[in-house]
Amino acid sequence: MAFEPRIVGFLCNWCSYTGADLAGTSRIKYQPNVRVIRVMCSARVDPSFVVKAFREGADGVLICGCHPGDCHYQEGNYKTMRRYPLLKRLLEGYGIEPERVRLEWVSASEGQRFADVVNDITEQVRRLGPCRVKTVLETDLVER
Amino acid sequence: MEGQRIGVYVCNCGTNIAKVVDCEEVVNSVRGMPGVVAARCYKYMCSNPGQEMITQDIRDLGLDRVVVAACSPRMHEPTFRKALAAGGINPYFLEMANIREQCSWVHEDGRAATDKAIALTRAAVRRVALHEPLEKRYVEMNKATLVLGGGIAGLTAALELAMADQLVFLVEREGRLGGNLARVDLTAPYLDSARDLLTDRVTRVLRHPGITVLLEAELTELLGYVGNFVARVRGADGAVRELPVGSVIVCTGYQPFDAGRVAAFGHGRLPNVISSFELERRLKEGKVLTDKGRPPQYAAIIHCVGSRSEAWHPYCSRVCCMTALKYGHEIRATHPDCFIYDLYIDMHAFGKGMEDFYRRSAEMKTIFILGGKNTVPEIRAAEPRHGCEMLIKAHDLLCGEEVEIPADLVVLMVGMEARKDAGVVAHLVNISQDRDGWFIESHPKLDPVATTTDGVFIAGTCQSPKDIPDTVAQARAAAARILARISRGQLEVDAVYAEVNEDFCSGCRMCNELCPYVAIEYDETKKRSHVISALCKACGTCVAACPSSAIKGRHFTDEQIYAQIEGVL
Repeated sequence: MAFEPRIVGFLCNWCSYTGADLAGTSRIKYQPNVRVIRVMCSARVDPSFVVKAFREGADGVLICGCHPGDCHYQEGNYKTMRRYPLLKRLLEGYGIEPERVRLEWVSASEGQRFADVVNDITEQVRRLGPCRVKTVLETDLVER
Repeated sequence: MEGQRIGVYVCNCGTNIAKVVDCEEVVNSVRGMPGVVAARCYKYMCSNPGQEMITQDIRDLGLDRVVVAACSPRMHEPTFRKALAAGGINPYFLEMANIREQCSWVHEDGRAATDKAIALTRAAVRRVALHEPLEKRYVEMNKATLVLGGGIAGLTAALELAMADQLVFLVEREGRLGGNLARVDLTAPYLDSARDLLTDRVTRVLRHPGITVLLEAELTELLGYVGNFVARVRGADGAVRELPVGSVIVCTGYQPFDAGRVAAFGHGRLPNVISSFELERRLKEGKVLTDKGRPPQYAAIIHCVGSRSEAWHPYCSRVCCMTALKYGHEIRATHPDCFIYDLYIDMHAFGKGMEDFYRRSAEMKTIFILGGKNTVPEIRAAEPRHGCEMLIKAHDLLCGEEVEIPADLVVLMVGMEARKDAGVVAHLVNISQDRDGWFIESHPKLDPVATTTDGVFIAGTCQSPKDIPDTVAQARAAAARILARISRGQLEVDAVYAEVNEDFCSGCRMCNELCPYVAIEYDETKKRSHVISALCKACGTCVAACPSSAIKGRHFTDEQIYAQIEGVL
């Protein structure tokens, strides 16, 4: 069977989650691979959420927030933006390709953009193939 | 987690969900999950019988947690929370799985959509098991309101509040009240004077002791939160005043589309091509003449300038069709022999009295020419032998031919667009704009004047193009929403906020710096930080940043989100 990536999406409530809802009300079709978890702000996305997602078998993680300057909480997305490069380095340390994670800005009016972002990351992760973290960890534990 | 009793309800939403997602399969997928004691499918969970099903199960089966897999929580979370409360359990023991907007409406493959719906619903079950009961918070409410903009919307809202004995600060950027309507002569479809509508209101607003009018003034900052805002307003003298208010109504209106942007119309190049607002000015002065001072023998009115066009704005500006018919009447009133051509795409006569107005205009022998969408008539200067100022080349859809129309005066029906600085206003009061720049309401049908920021309301054409009756209705609705809150005295605010476990806090103060609302205080004696819950807006930035994991984001705890991650995978 063809590889279908499993991607966890963390969406901020005010812009990106609303944008994703708009894609729905506009009946825009996109790939079904991203499973969304709603957070109030992209700055709530603890790096441990991302690590946890890979640990549980995710092949990719998508983080979406309001565009810079448009954060519902004034500047939460700037904090996300600053944490993001560190997160990528952390993942590299774990042997996870940084390309498996994406940070994107999607506003409440960008239903089409949300659909495009989902299709894009799905294709990107599809090309990378399955993430082996979970399997490696499980075998590792068994060997110990 | 032991002894939990979870009920799971999967909504068909008529066929909206059920035609793509196999709802029975979703129900079966959660049966047997730890704690699940009831799992059902129903055609409309949000209907009364749907809600009663939940309430009844809470009573009969002793449910203590509920999952509803249905539409977006942005749509019906409040509805189902009420159903939980009606059943006698804490409303925060609810979790929704969004299997409509983010699943059945966006996927075509039933298998993949069903798998996704199962993952989302199972994740919701895992999450709800960790939910904690939260108590609503109440804050005092300042009864004063800040109204931004002194057009017909702002004037109406201010009067409505003041007549209920509440204080209003009306901030207007211009040196006069009345907004765009002050530039209009008569109004459609009853041809009554705009001045009459405005003068009375402006006078009452200026004389009312409860309304403080600040002209040539601008909002520079809005601090605080619902019920307790502080608005910084720069006045005509340059000084900044601090106004304590409980609510804000944004009535900043629209700007007319600049007709010069459509080159084919020759606005700015041909002296007798004018915009609708330029015609209004001439009508008010009582002089509708060509640039040579002659009465026009032929007048042409072109609809949808900047509206309903792929090149400019895709939307309909709603008021121009009837205004165009009004011009026919007004021009004919001053020049009874003038031939009037009305070049339109579709005649939108949607409101009370409008279809009748259209019929009367047709009887007046206005010549209507139906053009196609995205075909722009071309206007050029005529030669002396033509006996008119200009010639308009247009496509007449009904006869299927190119026609050439004589014109001495061309009126361009410019549409409404979001003000160019609407983004600045949106940022100041923390509300969102749609792709066309209009402010976004909380719900397009059920909550048309509230916004995503509690305590900030919108009314009039800053929300979308609309006519005077709709603008007035929205302004009064916004005022009524505020008055309802004032009459209750206290405001209920969301129970979701962050809290510091002082046993774990190392006093590093990292969170103090990160909080955009200065809601975290450091206690020098205890050497610990704590959250001032009334100021916290629950973004969770501090929760994610705390190196000791000492801060808990209520209703978005690490454990709840971990459970959800495990559930979706």
